[in-house]
Amino acid sequence: MHRHYAKAPFFITAFLLAVALCCLAAILTTGSGTGTFVADVYQNGELILSIPLDQDPPKPFLIQGENHCFNQITVQDGAIGITAADCPDQLCVHQGFLRTPGLPITCLPNRLVILLRNAASDSSQELTGSQVPDMVTY
Amino acid sequence: MQIRKLPVLALYTTLSLAIFAAESLLPPLVPIPGIKLGLANIITLVVLRHDSPQEAALVLTARILLSSFLFGQLVSLFYSLAGGILSLAAMYLTNRCLHKKMPFLTGAMGGLFHNIGQLLAARLLLSSSAVWAYFPFLGLGGILTGFFTGLCAHYAGRLLPRRS
Repeated sequence: MHRHYAKAPFFITAFLLAVALCCLAAILTTGSGTGTFVADVYQNGELILSIPLDQDPPKPFLIQGENHCFNQITVQDGAIGITAADCPDQLCVHQGFLRTPGLPITCLPNRLVILLRNAASDSSQELTGSQVPDMVTY
Repeated sequence: MQIRKLPVLALYTTLSLAIFAAESLLPPLVPIPGIKLGLANIITLVVLRHDSPQEAALVLTARILLSSFLFGQLVSLFYSLAGGILSLAAMYLTNRCLHKKMPFLTGAMGGLFHNIGQLLAARLLLSSSAVWAYFPFLGLGGILTGFFTGLCAHYAGRLLPRRS
């Protein structure tokens, strides 16, 4: 049995390397989409705004949430992001600006999710009715 | 489990809890929710290597319960348990395959599966498959941080008196 598992370190290393490389590849290639995107802003799981990113951007606006948490959303230069918020951890602000689909921007206390999608695709994303960020962990 | 091991395990738990608490004070390294160094895993790795997996499970569970009650919210208990159980299982199996050598590989597997466990918990709680978008970051981060904690555990374990 010892001889059998003498190659175990090799397999495990190979597995880890494979996973790591796949992750790296996924990170580097997400959002190689085609040009125009639309930003969908969801609050409490409901689509409240759809902003095409290639048109003239609206002025920065505020979205109020239930927990007295507001988010200031700015659209500029083909990107959308949360530029100010009064939640304690400011994670949403640090998530920066979205230019390409892939990762969303979320503000959990405010139950806000911003997702990008291709302008050509269907308006309803895979956000089910219960995709409400209803729990917050810090 | 011998009764005189109880204080030792309690010390491990306290140490693990202290590391966890100290680490939670650090500012987030990257703005991706869930990425952290996971230094408390060092203790789990040391106990797994020098003692039995049951004792590692005890220390881990105690630390998860305590840290959730003291520092977190009830829901963080769910996330931590999910990550911890999966991570412990992965580390135990890896340890067996590697005959307790190369703790950095064990640590990397533990880190990876801890994050997988947390993603599964998030998928369950938030009922959305959008959480898988985080997997590349959490997977890579888990492997790298687990590798680092594995190295730390290797050197920390060397300081313990020899007994096995």
